[in-house]
Order: sequence, then structure tokens, then C-alpha cells
Amino acid sequence: MFNYQKKLQYPINIKKKDLRMAKFLVTQYGGSNGELAAALRYLNQRYTMPDDRGKALLTDIGTEELAHIEMISTMIYQLMKDATLEEIKAAGLESHYAEHGKGLYPTDANGVPFTVAYFATTGDVLADLSENMAAEQKARAVYENLINLTDDPDVIGPLLWLRQREVVHFARFKELYDYYKKKMNKTEDNTMISNNYIVNQLMGEYPYR
Amino acid sequence: MINSYKYDFMRNMNMPSLYSPEEGFNKGNMFSNLYEQYKNYKPKELVGNNDMEKMYLELARICFAKHDIQLYLDLHPDDVSMIQLFNDYRERENNLLKMYEAKYGVINTDSDSLNQTPFVWATEKFPWEVNRYV
Repeated sequence: MFNYQKKLQYPINIKKKDLRMAKFLVTQYGGSNGELAAALRYLNQRYTMPDDRGKALLTDIGTEELAHIEMISTMIYQLMKDATLEEIKAAGLESHYAEHGKGLYPTDANGVPFTVAYFATTGDVLADLSENMAAEQKARAVYENLINLTDDPDVIGPLLWLRQREVVHFARFKELYDYYKKKMNKTEDNTMISNNYIVNQLMGEYPYR
Repeated sequence: MINSYKYDFMRNMNMPSLYSPEEGFNKGNMFSNLYEQYKNYKPKELVGNNDMEKMYLELARICFAKHDIQLYLDLHPDDVSMIQLFNDYRERENNLLKMYEAKYGVINTDSDSLNQTPFVWATEKFPWEVNRYV
């Protein structure tokens, strides 16, 4: 189960309303490389990780991504708080307002709603971990794009911080990927068959049988 | 920035070099070998303006240090000295949580501060509404 802690992982206190930035920032909530996709990707993949290391890392990073969803949502909420209808129109957010009022909704920066098609699960540990490494890099790149689009230090601070978490998560996923790859190569004489079969044999587990 | 833990780590070559919880939390990364700065952007220096904010920040730092070490331990479950450090932070987090909740407000549902009326879990502000931390 999950427990809620009534605090953010990193403090957010945005004093200046900025609807334009909120419109871009929402992609890290409901875009293809956003935090919602990340949380679901890892928490969904973790069940078929071949050993304890994989299950532990995907559980813990997936859980952290839930905290990042809350951080991004908080930023969007604070950037849009107290917006007048005129300001919403001026920022080009009328279509968001028509559908959702002043509520939050997971979309990308173009208003395209979130879909689970944004992430993959193949059940193949190397393919899944490669997907996760790519996802962390793409999210890092998007955070950098977003940082380039603002000069508000209250926004840049948390974005830099979240970007750095992508760097750490990428490094951990790569570490796990290399660990599995090495295990496979050891017994395999460089012939790659179904890597899940091999990993499962190595770990003495046959979850698919 | 002085890092009191760093020198202990240097004695142990198996231990990756860690930042202090303060520096690590500002940077969003406890592991100096993994840190990557973006362009010339420096991480925000978080400072508490009063006792409550200071205690909250210290809690957030320790909580973060513990979590980042946890990710490391997921992949290195036999690293004795890192397990020790994890537990140091775990104990500090528990103590800070108790002190903070007794004085300033509830964070977890197992808090003693919930034994009062009204039920402060529901009545205290939620994190996205709080504009007081730092």
C-alpha cells in the first residue's frame, strides 16, 4: 500500500502568477515524458523484474515519481491561482478553461490528454530498462527546455531539482541494466536468446511458466 | 561547503563520495559522482526564515538523503557502511518528525498530534496551498 505524507518532497512557493508557464509546465504532468507516465511506467513494470534489485529500484523510483507529480501539480496550481478570465484568454488557455475550468488536467503542452500509450512494457527486462533510461533522458531534456522558457527563480529552482532527479534515476537504471546484462553474458557466450528466459534461469525463477 | 561525512567516506574506498544532506538536498543529488549541473545554473540555496521553516528544511534534507541512499541500497544491498548511514538518517528523520509534528503540524497519519479536536489531518492546509516553507 502507499502512505501519504502531508508535505512536498521539495518546497515550492511561487509568488508570481504566470499562465503562459503553467501551459508549458503541464507537459511534465500529463505529457509523454512527464511524471505521471514515469510513475505508471515503473510501478507497472516492477512486477516482472527478475530479481529483488529490480523490484526494489522500480518500486522506489516509481514511488518518488508520485511525489514529483504532486510537485508539478503544485507548481501549475500556484502559477494559475487567482487567474482572471481575461488572463486565461490572453494566455491562450480558453480551450483548457472550456473543458476543465480552473481545474488541473494531465495533458501535454499542446493540450493533448494523457494516454498510457506513452509508455511501454514488453516484459523483457533489457527492453523495459532501456525504455526507462530513455524516459529519464527525455524528461531531463524537457526540464531543460522549460528552464529556458522562464526567468522566475521560484520556478527555476524546483525545475533544476527535478531535472537532477532524472539524472540520478537514469544512472540507477543504467546500473541495473548493466548488472543484468553482465549476468546474461556470463553464461551465454554472447549468444542472446530470449533474455527473460536467461535471467529467470539465473535467478532460479520462472514467473512465466 | 563543509561536509562532515565526506572525510569518513574517503577512508573507505568502497563508499561513493556523498554530499552533506544540506548540499545534497539543494542539488537534488546526494552522490557527487552522479551530479550534473545544467549550464551555469546554480542550485537554489534553501534557507529557513524562522524556527518552523528551519526545522521543516532539516526534515526535508534528512528525508531526501535517506531516500537517495535507499535507491543506492536497492542495487547494493550488502554495503554495510551505507546501511549504517541509511539508519543514521532514518533515526534522525524519526526524531525530527516527532519534534516537528508536536510543534507545528501533522505530516504522517501515525502522528500523536492527531489525538485532538478538530482532526488536524483534514483541517490543516495541504502542501500545494502552503506558501510558508522557504
